[in-house]
Parts: sequence; C-alpha cells; structure tokens
Amino acid sequence: MGKIKRGVSLYSYQQAQFFKELDLEGQIREVGTNLFGADGIELLDEMGLRHYPNPPEEFFTQWFGWMEKYNTTPVTMDVFCDVLQFRDHVMSYSECADRLKSDIRLAKKLGFKNVRTLATTPAEVMIEALPVAVECDIKLGKEIHAPIPINGQYVNEIVEYCQKTGTKHLGLVPDWGIFAFRPSEVTLDWYVRQGAKRESCDLVTELCMDNYLGKSNELNDIDLSLYTAGNVESMFHRYLKHGDAPADLIPAFNKMQKMIRENVPDYTDIDFEVMGQALLLSRTKAEDLKSIMPYIVSIHGKFYNMSEIPGKPGTYQDIAIDYERPIQFLKENGYEGYINSEYEGQRRFQDRGVEDLISEVDQVRKHQEMLKRLIGE
Amino acid sequence: MFDNFLIRKDSLENEQDENGNVIGFKFAARNANYRGVYLSLHNGYYIKVDGVQYKRDVQTFEINGKAPRTFEEIKTAVWEHWDYDDEGIIHVAKEGGLAPGKHVIEFQQSVLAAYGYLPTDEEWVKCPPEPGTGAGSDKTKNIVTYELELQR
Repeated sequence: MGKIKRGVSLYSYQQAQFFKELDLEGQIREVGTNLFGADGIELLDEMGLRHYPNPPEEFFTQWFGWMEKYNTTPVTMDVFCDVLQFRDHVMSYSECADRLKSDIRLAKKLGFKNVRTLATTPAEVMIEALPVAVECDIKLGKEIHAPIPINGQYVNEIVEYCQKTGTKHLGLVPDWGIFAFRPSEVTLDWYVRQGAKRESCDLVTELCMDNYLGKSNELNDIDLSLYTAGNVESMFHRYLKHGDAPADLIPAFNKMQKMIRENVPDYTDIDFEVMGQALLLSRTKAEDLKSIMPYIVSIHGKFYNMSEIPGKPGTYQDIAIDYERPIQFLKENGYEGYINSEYEGQRRFQDRGVEDLISEVDQVRKHQEMLKRLIGE
Repeated sequence: MFDNFLIRKDSLENEQDENGNVIGFKFAARNANYRGVYLSLHNGYYIKVDGVQYKRDVQTFEINGKAPRTFEEIKTAVWEHWDYDDEGIIHVAKEGGLAPGKHVIEFQQSVLAAYGYLPTDEEWVKCPPEPGTGAGSDKTKNIVTYELELQR
C-alpha cells in the first residue's frame, strides 16, 4: 500500500496574511511545527511572493533557510494567467505559454517539484510550455476543480496527450471539491445573513442529497464541465442583475430559478443564488479516480468547514465533502503523492466584524487530524 | 471576500493642493482577492459617497510608491505587480472635499482578473466594463457599504 503524504496549500492562510497575522515564514512555521508531521508546502506565486515575478536574490536564500529550519519541502507552486494583462489585446496561447514557462523556471528556482495551472488553461498552452517543464524536471498539473468532472473534456485532453507521448511531466491536480455532494453549512449560513430564506437552503441541500443518494437525477443532465465554480457563480450573479450570460449556461440558471419560484414563498434574487450552489458540484465518485491515477501530480485537500464528529471528541469532518472513500481508494491504488489542505471557508465569515472571523490555523489543524486518521498513519 | 475589510476604516481624509485648497478626498483599499495581480488589470471603482457617485474619470490610484495615476495610465502598467499584501490609496477629485463627520460609502472594485479565457474578453479589451456592474468583482459580488468618519 502506498504512503500518502500530507502538506498544506498556503491558500489556507489567505486571511491571516491579509490581516498580517501570519507572514510567509509564519505560515511555513505553522505547517512544519503544528501539523503532526505534515511537511509539504504548496505556494500560490501571486499570493505568497513579494515582487512577483522577480523576487530579489536574497529571498531565495531565506526561502531555503525556512524549509530547513521548519523541516518542510516545496511540493507544488500554483500559478495564474490573467489573459487581459496587456489590455490592448487578449493574450494569445503563446503569450500564456511564455508566462507559464517563466513561472516554471521560478518554481524550479524555489525547489518545487510541480506547477499547477488553472483548470481553464488550454491544453495547448501547457503543451507549448512542456519542454521547459522537462528541462526543469517539473511536473505540470492541470487542476480539476468543481464543477469540472473527471470524465470531462479538460481531463481527457491531458490524459490522451500523456498516453500518446508517454511524457512524465504533464498531469492533473484534482481538487477535493469535486467530492463535495452538498453546499457547505457555512456557505448557506452566509447566504441567510445576506437575506436568503432558510427554505431555499433546505431546498438546495435536499436536491443535492437526493442526487447524491440516487433518489433523483435532476442535476445529472446539467453539464458545466467547461466552467470554473468562481465563473459560474459570478455569471449567475450577473445574469440575475443584468440578464446577461453565455447561452449554454442559461438553461441551468433557469432551472434553478424555476425551483425557487415553485417552492419558496417571498423569494428574492439571492434565493436563486442559493439554488445555484447546486450547479457547482462535480458529482464525482471515489472510483472515478481510477482512470487518472497515473496522472495525478498532487491533490488539493479542499475543505469548507471542519466540525467535530458527534460523539467522537477530538476528531473532525467536513459534512459537505466525502473524504473517507476517496482516501481509501487512493490508498488501495498506491497513491504516494501529497494531499495539501486547502481551506476555503474563511470568506464565509468575512461579512461581519473581526470578532466573527474564523481561525484558519485551527481549521487546518482539524483537517490535518482528519487526513492523518483516514490515511492511517 | 474580505467584504467589510477592503477599505481601511481610519483612512478617509480630505486632500489639499499646495495652496491649501481642498481638492478631494482619499481612502486606502486592498485587493478583493486572495492574491495579487498585474496592476494593468485594475479597472477602477464604483464609489458612491452619501448618494453621490464618483466615476472613474475623477479617480486616481496610488500604489508601489508612485504618484497617483489615472486608470488610463494604470492600464499601461502591464509589467508592474500589485502584490497581495499591499494597500493602495484611492484619490477622488472633488472641489471642497467632504464635510467633517460620518459618511456612507458604497464601494465595489473592478479588477479584470479571471480564471483563464472568458466570453467577455474581446468586449472588455474594446470597452472595459463600468465598475459597479459586478464585472471584475467575482470575489466580492455585491456592492459593500461602509460608514466612515472623515479623519481630517
């Protein structure tokens, strides 16, 4: 049986960094010191690095000093590509590839083994940058993020290219959000504070649970496999406010609106958005990982809220995401890479005062408790 | 995200020119995201103070130790990065500035960062969206209202 390794994406500490409670060194110290043996560091270049894309030379010395001091190791660097950067034209695939090549070289200089690109990065861009990844011995991984499914076009393109060429430097970074089967309770509570009806939250949870348990297939004919969750959310919001959305999204948006209209008295626009949370699920099952096992570069341990398991003090779970079965599957199939905690619930507490903010440090510690327990260390 | 924390609460001030005339007001803001971006992507703000809207043509933005720039100038800063940790200062030209006391500010940032290519890309090159429509604000979709005391 493979030995799964544990790490943390520093994405988890975005709020602590925003409020200057934990700087980059503080984040690395937390991972190396308080997470019962976790050692992997995943860094978002445009979040963690000052003076991106050209940190000063002394930074690199400091970085490796921290790795040694806190017994941590660079695993994956997450990179971005905003295609309107030049403002006078949309970036061409070659220009995106140039940026990716430069990020790969930066990752190499920081000792990373992998570079994660966004789910929406065209495969052509990754393939154009691949020779630099080979030269730097870096694995390039495309993120698979909900609502993108494992059997969708974005994944197939990568798998087919790997099979055709035999390259060892291209693959996938699944985000655990693909195993979410209902909206998180903290997301729904946030919507209620913004004015949504509790009935809408119950309705969306019921719809998702019925689909998860096979009692309904209402969601199964909706295919948003070419969109990211963030974009679906903002497009739905824009559609509600301004009536404007890509044509292929409109039927799914209308379906969610219809369910609210028919079931929730006195609804307002925000109730539609609550229902829209159902569109963000990939509906992936553990065994779906089978087809991509050889191509997994590393994994984002996405979670929204860790809460204590009833009757089991000191042990934690995320009630919206299946962790047990996918970890079991990964163990049985010999996965030996990293799962890096990626906490995303903090934004659901930022609508009130500082006293109501949640502790990311505490949430990640609880997530690592769960990972350690399920991995069976 | 960071809805209630994007504007620093104690940062609202009037501004004077070299002759002591009050020419506008300013406040400090952070990037409404979990990362920094190339500065050129920054497309301005929806700002309404006590019910009066101040559009992009009266806004300038100060960052990276440089003098305040218009959003037409910011657009050309294609290799300059706005780092995640850094606060920028938004300057608004308004003769006489704001009255002493509390003010209600409605606020939305527009940064044309996205997760890859979007159907709106070409349109936004030709005609950047008006801040406040939700365009370029995917992490903080709603206009946020702050009540701030004028510091001086």
